Amino acid sequence: MDPYRSGSSSSCAGKAPDQIDGLLAAAGYRVRSSELRNVAQRLERLETVMVNAPSEISHLADEVVLHNPSDLASWVDSLLSELNQPVPVPDLSDLTYAQPLDPTVNTGAWMEHHAAEQHREIPQVLTAVEEDSCIQLVHVLMTCAGSVQRGEFSLARALIDEMQGLLTRVNNRCGIGKVAGYFIDALSRRLFSPQGSGLIGSAYENEILYHHFYEASPYLKFAHFTANQAILEAFDGHDCVHVIDFNLMQGLQWPALIQALALRPGGPPLLRLTGIGPPSSDGRDSLREIGLRLAELAHSVNVQFAFRGVAASRLEDVKPWMLQVGPKEAVAINFIMQLHRLLVSDPTRGSPIEAVLGWIRNLNPKVMTVVEQEANHNQPEFLDRFTEALHYYSTTFDSLETCSTQPDKALAEIYIQREICNIVCCEGLARVERHEPLAKWQSRLRGAGFKPLHLGSNAFKQASMLLTLFSAEGYCVEEDGGCLTLGWHSRPLIAASAWQAIPEPNPPLGLVDPYNNVV
Amino acid sequence: MAGSNEINVNESKVFVLILLWGSLKSSVSFHIPFLGLEFLSRIFEVSGEKQSLFGGMKFETKVVPLNTWILISNFKLAYNMLRRPDGTFNRDLAEFLERKVPPNAIPVDGVFSFDVVDSSTSLLNRIYRPSPETEANSQFGIDDLQKPLSTTEIVPVIIFFHGGSFTHSSANSAIYDTFCRRLVSICKAVVVSVNYRRSPENRYPSAYDDGWAALKWVHSRPWLHSGKDSKAYVYLAGDSSGGNIAHHVAHRAAESGVEVLGNILLHPMFGGQERTESEKKLDGKYFVTIQDRDWYWRAYLPEGEDRDHPACNPFGPRGVSLEGLSFPKSLVVVAGLDLVQDWQLAYVEGLKNAGQEVKLLFLKQATIGFYFLPNNDHFYYLMEEINSFVNPNC
Repeated sequence: MDPYRSGSSSSCAGKAPDQIDGLLAAAGYRVRSSELRNVAQRLERLETVMVNAPSEISHLADEVVLHNPSDLASWVDSLLSELNQPVPVPDLSDLTYAQPLDPTVNTGAWMEHHAAEQHREIPQVLTAVEEDSCIQLVHVLMTCAGSVQRGEFSLARALIDEMQGLLTRVNNRCGIGKVAGYFIDALSRRLFSPQGSGLIGSAYENEILYHHFYEASPYLKFAHFTANQAILEAFDGHDCVHVIDFNLMQGLQWPALIQALALRPGGPPLLRLTGIGPPSSDGRDSLREIGLRLAELAHSVNVQFAFRGVAASRLEDVKPWMLQVGPKEAVAINFIMQLHRLLVSDPTRGSPIEAVLGWIRNLNPKVMTVVEQEANHNQPEFLDRFTEALHYYSTTFDSLETCSTQPDKALAEIYIQREICNIVCCEGLARVERHEPLAKWQSRLRGAGFKPLHLGSNAFKQASMLLTLFSAEGYCVEEDGGCLTLGWHSRPLIAASAWQAIPEPNPPLGLVDPYNNVV
Repeated sequence: MAGSNEINVNESKVFVLILLWGSLKSSVSFHIPFLGLEFLSRIFEVSGEKQSLFGGMKFETKVVPLNTWILISNFKLAYNMLRRPDGTFNRDLAEFLERKVPPNAIPVDGVFSFDVVDSSTSLLNRIYRPSPETEANSQFGIDDLQKPLSTTEIVPVIIFFHGGSFTHSSANSAIYDTFCRRLVSICKAVVVSVNYRRSPENRYPSAYDDGWAALKWVHSRPWLHSGKDSKAYVYLAGDSSGGNIAHHVAHRAAESGVEVLGNILLHPMFGGQERTESEKKLDGKYFVTIQDRDWYWRAYLPEGEDRDHPACNPFGPRGVSLEGLSFPKSLVVVAGLDLVQDWQLAYVEGLKNAGQEVKLLFLKQATIGFYFLPNNDHFYYLMEEINSFVNPNC
């Protein structure tokens, strides 16, 4: 759960030298025991340099981009080297936050940073009866989930009835009542319509919900912003670039990138965008429509642009030949809340994640951006998933309370409700919301031959500024070992990371399909 | 602010979701070494030919283990970068550099934590508690935060104000999260760590107001009560600026008749216009300089004020007498290598002169921050003293 507490250290003297110093780890810093003296020397050197240039130090702090402060050794080194050569990188701070698909957006100077008004909510006092019912409600929810796990379905159904009763005594327009309501609803679906697969909407409905969730909260904006920052940095110096987006949705992420590339010193590259999405059932070709609108925007800012849509109902159906990656292109792969879908496992063939990561690696992307829900919703035991989801989505709903625009808020809640339903009601292939925490993704991606690209202090600072301008107080951005998280109060809810493929020594000659069969 | 018996929506929502797990099956356990276990203790040796490079470290590293030296030096250098000569502070970079940890409702080494927002101040309080003794209470249980900590035993509640010279750190900083967990383990107390507002964005008296709000909040939570007469057994504690806050909150409490059973001040941050011997002698020798102390006071005190302001110098020319007040007993810990020690010793004298009960723990060879890592004798000595202080009948 907490990367700083990974059990890689012991407290005994005389342990192996490549072990991490346990006491520094408890303070949030990873330093190998064998490197302690080395790091101490470098710190001393840094101090000497600082002593010789005292007036420049804080000015420097504004310009230097720092990465992953937990890795003390490299952090000190990067400071030492930066004190000789500052490296300017174009970033998104020259733009106002782009409205989606509006080619007339003003790309002028960044707005003045105004301190956010503190919104003091008038505390709503619960009556004693309501308080009692709230607590009882959660007790019963947990008992019900436990009985579901044990297969005691008649008990579970009885408990659902009891909870419906309790709900009437609780104000379910806000707070615990609302969240509990959704979880009770999900449990009932699981019990009363077991052959159903949760809440499925059409692709069109999903797009609408997604758009309102985008507007109602900063989570998706943060995801897009952070990913774009990493992509922009990775594309630095390349003239032909190709972005592959594994869930185009309405292409909300891309106007900002197109505009940032347009403003790049030295001029924009040739940009190709391949957008992947589910096939539209109602005769519309939504992928193509979105591609056209993005092309218009690119045209208006003089960025050479080409779009290709790839319709696939499952991510593992996407094959590398469909993407037509050119040999000289710099490739960026973008997974916003998508990668976990590849963890869905089929009893006969396992999960496609390794095969897909394998062919992605063979494309040798300059950057792969991964943004995921920071939660452990893929545990084998139902009750564990249920409990974790209760915590996670309560926090999410809590944060949504700050949204005051309708219908954004209501539709955002339905968007979240779908996720909850999927986690609680579905199993097997239908359960696609298989969220895993950052630490797990990190080891999985390392194992698949990727190395982390650390998101820097400039991305952090800009994300924080964005939050202050556009969101209510309570949201916080944190740096976590080279990755950035966005959370509500101190609970991280979304984690963003960037990766680069480590080139394989002997790349295979042919292309492979998601199940490792040579095509 | 909510009255003493009201619990608002935010709180009940958070409270009821604190879940305890009987087994640690899915948690990753982290070994917090303390009494009885071997601990790291490395004394850095100065080798002959490298004297010049290590010269600056010579004083410090003879008394400070290597990993402590690295930790505090890292803070020193990073903080240097964040303070601007014009008195502003690079808050964004500070937040980026700060190592933070989320709360963890799953007990790790017998301690679990959760955050609660005090809706009247929007401030976060992080609560640390020992996990329940019996399995029966915790199997898939929800910690019923309507019940008191105990109806028979007294469970001390320590309100902790983290340090950082009023400017740095937060309740969820890794160093303070770890420290509070150790406090809970050793003293079998509940710790409430307050995320008070920091300077220079929020000057005097913000931090004291937030401390006062936290004190009242703690007293009004039935789930922090214990003992046969069911009330909160509250102690105030803090290191550096946190110690200063503890003093001022205790003062206000004494004047308002709110009960505080004791104050624990770990090298508290005090000062004055005068330059004392210890300041002159130790300036820049053990991580801290007079210049940085001055910067932090200028950032906290109202603009145009000097260091004889009573917030900084409570027993100085503008101080208010504590004589006759029912001020709590104090445990004041002074590090012998801290340049602020003369002010801290003057504080102890000031308390004595006002007829207040105070115990001084003078740790001659300790530097600031000695309590962050349990790799030195001072740490254990300190913990034992704090334990006896809050559990006087054990």
